[in-house]
Amino acid sequence: MNHSIQLPILALFLILAACSSRSNEQTFDSSKLPRATETQVEKLVEDFILVEDGGTITIEPLFYDLKTQLILDNKKNIKIIGAGMDQSVLSFRNLKTGGEGVKIVGENILLENFSVEDAPGDGIKSQHTDGITFRKLNVTWTNGDKSKNGTYAIYPVQCKNVVIDGCIASHSKDAGIYVGQSENIIVKNSLAFGNVAGIEIENCDNAEVFDNVARDNSGGILVFNLPGLPKSDGRGTKIYNNEIIDNNHENFATPLGDGPNGNTVTMIPPGSGIILLAAKEVEIFNNKIHRNKTTGLAIASYQITGFPSEAPNWSPYSHDIYIHDNSYKRTLKIPDLTRELGQLISVYNAHGKAKTQDIIYDGIWDTEISDNIETNPMRICLQEEGMDKLHFTMFYLMDGEDNIKSFKDYDPFQGCNVNVSTDVSNLASL
Amino acid sequence: MLKNTSRIIGLVGICLLISCKESTKEVQPLPQEPLKEELADGDYPYQRLSTYGFFEGEMKELQPSSSILPYEPASSLFTDYALKSRFIAIPASEKVKIQEGDFLFPTGTILIKNFYYPTDFNKPEENKKIIETRLLIHSEKGWEAFPYIWNEEQTDAVLKVVGGEKEVKFIHENGEEQVINYLIPNKNQCKTCHNSSEQLAPIGVKIKHLNHEMKIGQKIQNQLTYWKEKGVLEGFDGPDNHPSLVNYADETQALSDRAMAYLDINCSHCHQSEGPASTSGLFLQFDQKDPMKLGVMKTPVAAGNGAGAFDYDIVPGKADESIITYRMNSTEVGIAMPELGRTTIHQEGVALIREWINSMDK
Repeated sequence: MNHSIQLPILALFLILAACSSRSNEQTFDSSKLPRATETQVEKLVEDFILVEDGGTITIEPLFYDLKTQLILDNKKNIKIIGAGMDQSVLSFRNLKTGGEGVKIVGENILLENFSVEDAPGDGIKSQHTDGITFRKLNVTWTNGDKSKNGTYAIYPVQCKNVVIDGCIASHSKDAGIYVGQSENIIVKNSLAFGNVAGIEIENCDNAEVFDNVARDNSGGILVFNLPGLPKSDGRGTKIYNNEIIDNNHENFATPLGDGPNGNTVTMIPPGSGIILLAAKEVEIFNNKIHRNKTTGLAIASYQITGFPSEAPNWSPYSHDIYIHDNSYKRTLKIPDLTRELGQLISVYNAHGKAKTQDIIYDGIWDTEISDNIETNPMRICLQEEGMDKLHFTMFYLMDGEDNIKSFKDYDPFQGCNVNVSTDVSNLASL
Repeated sequence: MLKNTSRIIGLVGICLLISCKESTKEVQPLPQEPLKEELADGDYPYQRLSTYGFFEGEMKELQPSSSILPYEPASSLFTDYALKSRFIAIPASEKVKIQEGDFLFPTGTILIKNFYYPTDFNKPEENKKIIETRLLIHSEKGWEAFPYIWNEEQTDAVLKVVGGEKEVKFIHENGEEQVINYLIPNKNQCKTCHNSSEQLAPIGVKIKHLNHEMKIGQKIQNQLTYWKEKGVLEGFDGPDNHPSLVNYADETQALSDRAMAYLDINCSHCHQSEGPASTSGLFLQFDQKDPMKLGVMKTPVAAGNGAGAFDYDIVPGKADESIITYRMNSTEVGIAMPELGRTTIHQEGVALIREWINSMDK
């Protein structure tokens, strides 16, 4: 491509990119809180180190300016309790080393009623923990320049029996609430806003995400399976009774003007309600999926990223997907043009250029199962009321970029039956 | 019973008196409590490093007493150019055993690592300033880590579980003055690196790192052979029958061996299936043969800012497009790797890994 063509297109993209919204909204102002003295800060650090099994760590109603990480190491039955998310604030703005603000490893741990601000990496990370509850926590970044923000706000990884309840996660450069390589998960009553991804379930088994609000992110709720991880492929996620609205925030995972990098989240087109990527056994129902300018729901295979899509014990396809009884509202905003997936939707969708879509399917299927997609080889099941009024697009991408086609026909995906089973009943009492 | 009651009343009285007295004066910051005299009673950890009696003569000379042995891994984990002197204390009449390729240490073993800077790196043994001493103590429950911070007078070091920071000035080998804000980790941060399946574990004290020759007294000798001759090591079948890594700084060695030795000592404590960075699927032990696990054309997972503008951990032949070199070459928290233990860039390490990636077939 020669430069004289490229430049005007680039300029156009930048102008359009500016149509994406931005948010620096804060739930409360922590600067008015009384400050913890150096001794009080040191005591909290020490409490995390010296607490014994069965103990409680109390976070006073103060603003803690921490210069070192708070790490709980291999303890059992610990409660870490603040005086309220707007009262007890842990700020990691001055942390000089370490990958996250708070790190939890152990068994049966409860974190409740406090805030974490401005951690350079992740806000709160828990790893190798069986029984972890995040309740009424607020994790955020207060930088004006959001490209300086950290990766994940609430980040359980390689955990079992995870409950995230009543939390607020905002302004993270990747996912606000990110559950990775874990099993038995509830995410409920929580709010994710101003993040690149609101709530993300990645390489997990047996998860339910319900009664949450995901608004003003680039993408609202994501279910991904990435290749090459110790927990190779996850299955079994239900997403229901959520409000997934106005997820039109610019994608700030890379600096404005920079393209995506190898982090999959950098490819998310602003204006995405729900994205399934290499997802297995997912049921999505009773959600309000409103005013997401690019697409309400995207069902995609990993090949769409353009990255190598072979890995042991892992499949790049999304399959066994059951979508029903959701409410959709489109917007008149122009769909995203800053990301490849956004451009694909904006330009090639089956309803006319620059039209918001309700449901898109990339139409990439496993040709070893069937030689055509009309047999619905990946078992994608759409049972929405008034399907004829929705903007549904299935793409044909199997011949590469030069022969992209799109179809409105949803018949192959009707009248099917996919059973997604999850069981998180043993988590209810935590 | 009555006696007890009167005693309690008496105590309450004293408390009241104290609080009355205190209310009349201004509130002062608490003075640093002087450390009590301490006995070497075997009840670890001691508050003072001197209580262990590791060193003879003036503490700051770090002259080992006869109860401890020096050791040295072939390659060193980079810690802001700090020099390290390392010792192991093995309880009298006990032995280290080798089982299934790993050391098995007797209870009571202590690893002692002193971090210091010379005023001038061209005269590494002169005007040393010791910053901290880290002990790994092997108890019945497993290993535990204890950081001791040295005083300004360099007469002793005191246990400080919350860590700290210290400004250090020195002249680099190239003659330039360097100022470092040296960060002493808090006790639980130690396990960020010293971690195998969530149990605290030594990094450098592994057979593969110690199975090499070094100067012991006036003799050049394999240090594990020396341990065996001293009668403190059992199960060592000679240098050739155990794995051995090269010194990455030894330019006479093969480039890939040097690079793998560097990645092993600096990264693999986290980046292995039993380490905290197993989440990434990037595994960097010296004998890793699977290109994807080594990062070749592997996309990141949770790298955030750490990915920079790049797609893959290693792009063969293109060090400048590889996330590994990008993260090694940064000091920004959230980008810099390793996450802990350095606030400066290890220029020589970056150069080595760059050269190695650039040498890979495109």
